[in-house]
Amino acid sequence: MRLSFIALRSLSLFITFLLVMSAIFFLARATGDPFAELIEQDPRIPKSAVERLRARWGLDKPLIWQYVDFVKSMFQGEFGYSVNYLQPVFDVIKQKLPWTLFLLTTSIIISTIGAVLLGAYTAWRRGSRFDLIATNLALFVRSTPHFWLGMVLMLVFAFYFPIFPLFGALTPGVKHSSTFEFIKDLLWHAALPLTTLVVRQIGMYMLYMRSATLEVLGEDFIVTAKAKGLAERKVLFRHAVRNSLLPMVTVTALRFGFMVNGAILTETVFSYPGTGRLIYEAIINSDYFLLQGAFFITSVCVLIANLIADLLYAYLDPRVRVG
Amino acid sequence: MKLPQAWKDRFRIWKEKFQSGMFIFIHNKAGMLGLTIVSIFVIMAIFAPFIAPYNPYKRVDDFLLPPSSEHLLGTNDIGQDIFSELIYGARVSLLVGLLASICVVSVGTVIGLISGYYGGMVDEILMRVCDIVLVLPTLPLMILLASLLGTGKFYVLILAITLTSWPGLARLVRSMTLSLKERAFVEAARAIGATDPHIMVNHILPNVLPLVISSAVYQAAGAMMAEASLSFLGLGDPSHKSWGMMLHYAQTTGGWWANKGKPCWWWIIPPGLCIATFVTGLMLVGQALELIVNPRLRRR
Repeated sequence: MRLSFIALRSLSLFITFLLVMSAIFFLARATGDPFAELIEQDPRIPKSAVERLRARWGLDKPLIWQYVDFVKSMFQGEFGYSVNYLQPVFDVIKQKLPWTLFLLTTSIIISTIGAVLLGAYTAWRRGSRFDLIATNLALFVRSTPHFWLGMVLMLVFAFYFPIFPLFGALTPGVKHSSTFEFIKDLLWHAALPLTTLVVRQIGMYMLYMRSATLEVLGEDFIVTAKAKGLAERKVLFRHAVRNSLLPMVTVTALRFGFMVNGAILTETVFSYPGTGRLIYEAIINSDYFLLQGAFFITSVCVLIANLIADLLYAYLDPRVRVG
Repeated sequence: MKLPQAWKDRFRIWKEKFQSGMFIFIHNKAGMLGLTIVSIFVIMAIFAPFIAPYNPYKRVDDFLLPPSSEHLLGTNDIGQDIFSELIYGARVSLLVGLLASICVVSVGTVIGLISGYYGGMVDEILMRVCDIVLVLPTLPLMILLASLLGTGKFYVLILAITLTSWPGLARLVRSMTLSLKERAFVEAARAIGATDPHIMVNHILPNVLPLVISSAVYQAAGAMMAEASLSFLGLGDPSHKSWGMMLHYAQTTGGWWANKGKPCWWWIIPPGLCIATFVTGLMLVGQALELIVNPRLRRR
């Protein structure tokens, strides 16, 4: 891969990143003054204390200087102070981010494997009864809202058959005696949220994989492979799936952005202590340092995922590099 | 009224295309199934006052009654009939979906056309804005816009959905416009002195339109999902209860525990099932339309 290609992609991404940061800055300012709301909530707080807080976090400066401060602090990893949590934003995000990353990466891995296998198989057996049932089911599943799927799972597996817990990420107040116990508790709590995310994503991406495989199956080299007398399984996995994985790479990276939506809704239903729920709370409480920080983190994740996808795609498909 | 010959010809071609399209659609079982589902819900929404047995905003019976012959789907925590809520909810959900889809499609098409046709600086700026909206996570952006524009208003949801959903379609229309504007018929039109707006509306738009129409159905599906999510998070209009908002109330005011620690399945299951069924119907219709618009897919 040529270095100039990587450099060009990174530069273009960096410009987008700066623009996104500016958009976040101005959108966050528009939600209102977090410290003014502090007085509204508790009138006993003296005005002078609020003024001091505003000065401490630079809100008394003109907007343009606030913007300069903002850009500087973003590069230093300082995100300001959360009025709602009464903690630096960095600490709040640090507590919440691992939970969301755990949910998202685990569900992306499981659902990608599931979607690739199911998509390839249904394409291979297109028109069969299995294909018909699976594709229609997938269409239905991708049309169900995340939160409802979560509620139904909760209804069945936490109320009628109380196998899994109702909320949270770990049993509160329990000291885990060993790592094994900890992982057991973690998975037990994550089972329903993970199932919600995985089921819905398999529904979405199985159909992509299916149509990508169908496209490849129509190519000449598949006919050649078949004519050579290769076993069906070999034709499918060695020749077809390898090539149909290409579009899936892009889709998997783009999913990161969509996954944030899933995370917000799923975390809301299961009261999971992640960043998805955090963004929602930050907006509702106009806690704008927190909002900036959370938006910043998610946007950076999405951008990095896009860059990786671009580079991976160029690495896997030589045709892209030439153009 | 006398139409110019060019328009007469165009209408004739459209009519033929429409007829052949209808032929394909009618013979597409999945598409017809989707259309049936969509029609049932649309009829339900239009004739809601005649179908619903009770007023969904009034207390009509005791709290949290399980389904019975009197209340087909029981009652909620303040004694409202859930079946009636569901039927009236179709009005709100469908209307938001329809209006948002129209807005998204118009904005996306116009921006795509302008960006692709003029190119240069205009294109660069519009596509940068596109990138920004695509990178920012959609749902948080929608929540943010909805809370900025004032929550609890019907049109705010539509506005928030429109502002966040246009880039996909704009990109698509732009790329089509880029190739269309190089074609001979555009050059010919320009040679006889046609203005830019004239070329865009009369020569490029008709060629983009079929694709736009088929994607409008998907946009409606997406808009309905977005509306459901926003309403579920409590950003909907309380005076217009949609399916998403029914689930919001079920989640926040104790559809789970209020009934002596037992969940009310009749309150939780139906609204989501309605959303899922209707959106599936839209997707089926969308797929059938895609087959008509994109003949390459028909081989499968």
